[in-house]
Amino acid sequence: MAMAFPRPRFHRIGILLVLLVVSTTVTPLEGGAAETPRRGGILLAVIGAEPPSLDPHQESTFANIQLVAPLYSTLLQFDPYAFPKIIGDVALDWKIAPDGKTYTFKIRSGIRFHDGSPLTAADVKASYDKIVFPPQGTRSTRKAAFSSVERIDAPDPVTVVFHLKFASASLLPNLASPWNVIFPKKYLDKDPNHFKMNVVGSGPFKFKTYTRGGMFEGERNPDYFVKDRPYLDGYRFFISTETSVRAAAIRSGRAYIEFRNLPAPEVEAIKKQLGDKIAVQETPVTAHWGISVNNTVKPFNDVRVRKALTMAIDRYTASRVLYPLTGLKHIGGLIRPGSADWALPQAELEKLPGFWRDAEKSRMEARRLLAEAGYPNGMKVVLKNRNIRLPYQDWAVFVIQEWRKIGVEAEHRPLETAAWFADGQNTGNFELIISPPVEYMDDPDVWLGRYTTGSTQNWGRFSDPRLDDLFSRQARTLDPAERKKLTDELQRIALENAYYMPGLWWTRNLVHWAKVKNYVAPPNYYSNQKLQDVWLAED
Amino acid sequence: MASYLAKRLLLIVPTLLGVASLVFVIMRVIPGDVALLILGGDQGSHIDPQQLAAVRQQLGLDQPLIVQFGVWMWGLLHFDLGTSLWTGRPVVEELLIRLPLSLELAVLATMISVLISIPLGMLAAVRQDTWVDYVVRVVSIGGLAVPSFWVGILVILFLVLFFGWGPPLLFTPPWEDPWANLQQMIWPVVTVGYRYAAVTTRMTRSTLLEVLREDYIRTAWAKGLAQKAIVIRHALKNAMLPVITLIGTEFAFLIGGLVVTETVFTLNGVGRFVVDAVAHRDYPVVQALVFLIAFGFVLVNLLVDLTYAWFDPRIRYQER
Repeated sequence: MAMAFPRPRFHRIGILLVLLVVSTTVTPLEGGAAETPRRGGILLAVIGAEPPSLDPHQESTFANIQLVAPLYSTLLQFDPYAFPKIIGDVALDWKIAPDGKTYTFKIRSGIRFHDGSPLTAADVKASYDKIVFPPQGTRSTRKAAFSSVERIDAPDPVTVVFHLKFASASLLPNLASPWNVIFPKKYLDKDPNHFKMNVVGSGPFKFKTYTRGGMFEGERNPDYFVKDRPYLDGYRFFISTETSVRAAAIRSGRAYIEFRNLPAPEVEAIKKQLGDKIAVQETPVTAHWGISVNNTVKPFNDVRVRKALTMAIDRYTASRVLYPLTGLKHIGGLIRPGSADWALPQAELEKLPGFWRDAEKSRMEARRLLAEAGYPNGMKVVLKNRNIRLPYQDWAVFVIQEWRKIGVEAEHRPLETAAWFADGQNTGNFELIISPPVEYMDDPDVWLGRYTTGSTQNWGRFSDPRLDDLFSRQARTLDPAERKKLTDELQRIALENAYYMPGLWWTRNLVHWAKVKNYVAPPNYYSNQKLQDVWLAED
Repeated sequence: MASYLAKRLLLIVPTLLGVASLVFVIMRVIPGDVALLILGGDQGSHIDPQQLAAVRQQLGLDQPLIVQFGVWMWGLLHFDLGTSLWTGRPVVEELLIRLPLSLELAVLATMISVLISIPLGMLAAVRQDTWVDYVVRVVSIGGLAVPSFWVGILVILFLVLFFGWGPPLLFTPPWEDPWANLQQMIWPVVTVGYRYAAVTTRMTRSTLLEVLREDYIRTAWAKGLAQKAIVIRHALKNAMLPVITLIGTEFAFLIGGLVVTETVFTLNGVGRFVVDAVAHRDYPVVQALVFLIAFGFVLVNLLVDLTYAWFDPRIRYQER
């Protein structure tokens, strides 16, 4: 007996909230539904980085997925209009066994890759085999997300079956990840790294040209399996690492859209110059800027010191001050506030260290804790950071000022990305370091794994068996209400012990010309990049 | 002359070997790991330690340093600059995408600046302490004082704000579409050329002033030679030696040193490539580019030295 996937009621609330946020902040879509889509035109975009390779299975930067997502299909996807609702892409429908250990997907027939060959279940299996069980010499960035998968079968050309070792609450959202694209098996058989430098997908656009360091271009796929899509004749990304150059490109009309973010001052200048020709979608982002505390070195192995440091930060003032400069806005715990499924309720959050409404009372308690820990006259610390101004350094400057109020003098040490990454992730050569988790969805599996023992995302190198146990249990719990209880408890323990200091959750400004229609910015800059429904009101 | 040339060419070998060793060591000393950056993505995602080890092995970073150095030097001896750790493509392939643009920018900026700066420097020297001299000095000091990238940003903002126009974002080679190429290259050439011209103008002025005070010039005046003949035929030729050195050094610098200007004008040139490679800890690319840029400097210096003989017949590179 099989059953259809039960959508958690929390997801519904989440969808409604996201829609509410989008509908109140997004202006270009107003009336968009009433307009008749226009065919033709090339969407011109600017992007701030270049990917190491073109293979999304092996990369995790927006610079990869924004360029190539329009060229590929995925098994499932997040609904472009209602994140995080999950809908099929090449999957027509799916069933989950009652024990949650077998997922059976039916594949649409008639889908063709850009080389003309048909897309079958064998291609889906080969692609996921590459992700879950990467062959020698191939890396798979998202292998860990599929640790529950035992094997994948393709019993016939239109059926794919995922057999799990244990039930996994996050399997479906992981299958909807924009990164897990479907490659043709025949190329993978010859060389699993073929797609690092080549593109053969089945998406709405076909690969056209790529000039390294300059431009990436796709053209309309006339044989796309979704009828009458895409509307655009093609898309073109210009690569520029300089923010002011990308902003100038938008202002001069050399580009119509920047899919990631432009700083508020640039956005204001663009709006001032172009008026209603421009539209800005401000969306929350599944990213926050916080501080990792090295729990293995003195005095940060003392919970009183960690608590004092987090309690000194007035996050409510931070939000007011930093939002106009940096987009750092929302106050939340370890999962994005607004993702009503999993975030700690605000009332509960305000009882935890660092989230008290009364900032002065919180500082007094911080001073008391420091004195109790043996530092009545304060202390000196080193705060390492990435040498990027927005929002890394602005956030650090605010925090340093706050710590000064309780007698903690912090030396701010900005590092080049490679050194910052090596110190934080690899060597643990830091006391305190600014660390921003960024993900493509809100699921607790991707957000809370970093608080478990030995996780490579656990920059603070702490270990609490309670957290490990709760994480493991929630990952296998299919009942959303029960899972919510477990994740709330995990967040409470982590925050109460100040293992990590969450900062503020980010919002981003997706800036585009108003003539770009039908693009809804999701709360991340990885999903909804297929562009199949996007159209241009004029060239 | 031939033996001098041979000696100079031979000296290139230890110089380049020194550069190669130095850049190899420096890149290994600075913290950071390309494998971590590749797996980490935008802000550091899930990194499986086994995957990390596998990537390091795949990139050859698990080898002892001496082996890595040996492999690189062996490749150099065979004109193989290696493969980018970041993109997996041959360094030569990556370089060939960017070199035409950097060469075009360097050649055009040099031409513009030479054409402007030498006449201006001469004029300022000949009309010393007149309003002409003052104007030239003010303009040239401006070129030295104001950073090129700032001029570049101002130029772009001016064009965008007042004309709603920005330079094209993609490089089109002149042989494909000269008009599109001109639209993109004119502003960076002007921006870079201004600074370059400022330096050269000042050098031309000061060296010419020195030469114009020499006894043989006074003799020429006394002989009743025309001013044009004295300045151009007798003074300028002798004043040109330091100017040529400067032009040569600046030209070599322009090939790989225009990082910020290239970024501001979205030019996919060698300068940006070097900086990106350093940020990514892409050792083969950094090593190869620094090596090639050093080679360029050495070669330009040699050419400059050889040019001296043409300008000043007293200079002969002979064994004594």
